[in-house]
Amino acid sequence: MSVLIEVRGLRKRFGDIEALAGVSFHVAAGEIYGLLGPNGAGKSTTISILCGLIKPDGGEARLNGIDVVQHPVDARRVLGVVPQEVALYSDLSARENLAFFGRLYRLRGAALQRRIDRVLEQVNLADRAKEPIERYSGGMLRRLNIAVGILHEPSIVLLDEPTVGLDPQSRAAILDLVHAIAANAAVVYTTHYLDEAERLCDRLAIMDHGSLLAEGSLAELRQAAGEREIIALRGEFRAEAVPAAIGAAADIQLIKGDSDELLFSVTSAQRELSTLMGIAATFGTVREVAIKQPSLENLFIKLTGRGLRE
Amino acid sequence: MGPFIIARHHLLRIVRSPGLILILLAVPVTLAGLEYAAFGPTVASGKLPPIKVLILDNDRTFASAAVPQVFTAGGPLADMFETSPVADRTAARALFQKNEASALVIVPKGFQDALLAGGRADVQFAPNPVQTFSPAIAAAVLDMTVMIGNGIYGQAAAPLQRINAARAANRPLTADDAADIARGFFEAARRLNGLMAVSNLTVTSVRPAAETAGPGADAKQFFAFVFPGLMIFGALFVSQSLALRLLRDRARGVERRLAMTSLSPAAQIAGSFLFMVAGLIVVLVLLLAVGAIVFRIQLKNPPALLALAVGFAIFAAALHLAIIAIARNERSASFMGSGIVMLLSLLGGTFFPAEEMPAFLRNVAFVMPNGAAQQGFVDVLAHGRTLAETSGRILTTWGWALVMMAMAVAGVRRRAEHV
Repeated sequence: MSVLIEVRGLRKRFGDIEALAGVSFHVAAGEIYGLLGPNGAGKSTTISILCGLIKPDGGEARLNGIDVVQHPVDARRVLGVVPQEVALYSDLSARENLAFFGRLYRLRGAALQRRIDRVLEQVNLADRAKEPIERYSGGMLRRLNIAVGILHEPSIVLLDEPTVGLDPQSRAAILDLVHAIAANAAVVYTTHYLDEAERLCDRLAIMDHGSLLAEGSLAELRQAAGEREIIALRGEFRAEAVPAAIGAAADIQLIKGDSDELLFSVTSAQRELSTLMGIAATFGTVREVAIKQPSLENLFIKLTGRGLRE
Repeated sequence: MGPFIIARHHLLRIVRSPGLILILLAVPVTLAGLEYAAFGPTVASGKLPPIKVLILDNDRTFASAAVPQVFTAGGPLADMFETSPVADRTAARALFQKNEASALVIVPKGFQDALLAGGRADVQFAPNPVQTFSPAIAAAVLDMTVMIGNGIYGQAAAPLQRINAARAANRPLTADDAADIARGFFEAARRLNGLMAVSNLTVTSVRPAAETAGPGADAKQFFAFVFPGLMIFGALFVSQSLALRLLRDRARGVERRLAMTSLSPAAQIAGSFLFMVAGLIVVLVLLLAVGAIVFRIQLKNPPALLALAVGFAIFAAALHLAIIAIARNERSASFMGSGIVMLLSLLGGTFFPAEEMPAFLRNVAFVMPNGAAQQGFVDVLAHGRTLAETSGRILTTWGWALVMMAMAVAGVRRRAEHV
């Protein structure tokens, strides 16, 4: 499969904040690439650079071989973007919204109408196409938001958290739609929902503080997680004393040591729990215990030291 | 094509839901309508409304009947005043309270007798306390007429004395008396006629070398002076409303989405700009049409009007695009926009005619973008000036338009970099 998105060593600073610190990845045609990361991880900055909205301080990004910095307008012709917010004209109907954005991509006349009909069928809005969209439900708006992004049949589609705030049924419909889009395009999909990423993405990247912490297929990432379990102890602790206390236990890794939370990675939670409870009780008070089975979320926590929604 | 697609798109959206724009458009028309209602339909025929003077004649004599003619006898005052008899002071007070008269002139009983007796003949003048200018004008005219009347009275002193002498002696006039009195009045009239015949000193109204015919060139065309200011004021607020629509699109993320399409940033800015300029030109043309149809303003010199309208539309569009580029949200844009529009209106002479301002403020008004455009419209509509004669105002308006356009483009581009 041909590579349609190439990102190499992308760097960007906003004042003192390093938004991107050398991000590299590539996405091939027909592939769904998931970008996972908490707020401020650098996902939106990456998307903005790919769209040509902001210029990187270093590195390069190419869409279908076109440099997004040198030729942003040409690069955007092959790109379809579905922003996180429903960015549509609420006083217009679905058909009118699509017609407007289609014209911006130089679609005209019968060809434009055919594309609009097709995409409305695809997102299941054909029967409500002439209504002002201010009457639409959240799920319908999200589907139309996607329809506008794919109307011009781009070879690359960026979807920025397209299911935020939706009920499970609407989310499922959108995930099916994204699968269908990927049949003809390279897709970058950013999300907070790990289950979505696990279900949808061919490859995933975990991002935090402007860096890709891990990248690969779901199987590769699970392997990287080492099939280990996570023990989370919440309460009040003198966290600085904990590393020394677990120093001798080779199978226990301290992922996060805060005054209110201790995160440990272990091979067997059942075996190590009593040891860790003893250590924690020595240096504080345990109020809550949680054990997480091996999963993408565990890997995420292991790599970033925090939950995806923090 | 991108800019035209965007401009057309926004204009069609406005046509579909024009509510707010129509309300704003109605503001200058309503203000002008109120003035129309205040001054009456006479104004629409090209004349100023007459000042109404009430006459309370308690003497009911030949001399007292001549008093109203002070205001309506003819000449330049003929169209300026209208007199109406009243039965008593109560009736006059009622008309004052309804603001249907400007002054009351009371001719007391014995007025004619006092005149004939050569004594003091006093006429009382009561201004309507609700009004300011019209009673003052009526009083000035009455004072001036009294001064002239005293002069005429002096010319006829001799025959009047003969009449009074006969009346005092209670004897009938002889044929010689009648002949002397007639001769006396004849001489008085001859001297008066001689006085009026002196016409070496004249006043001629000099206008620029423009067409002077038609109501557009008539200084009495009241609305040709008033309406341009309201038009400019209205256009500034409509411009603000159009810009706020764009700002709301930005808040919804649509602007950012447009920036993610194959449209170049320049095309996106040009589209917004074109939309606003086209919308404002339509607004100004509509207002001019209202001025012509409702207020009988003659639309002379269309090229000059078009040059002013386009120049001012560019300025107003650029001003509000620059404001929404700076503003963080709709509230701050509304605050800034309204503040700047009010300041411009105060300095530019929207609320107070620049022609009447002190020299310094007048000069300031005429170099303000709205002041220059407004005065340009007045020059064309009221004074009938040509494109060449209005070129100074047009250049000032366009100069501001181009400077503001450069500022708006810089502001919008700067914001686009932070999308």
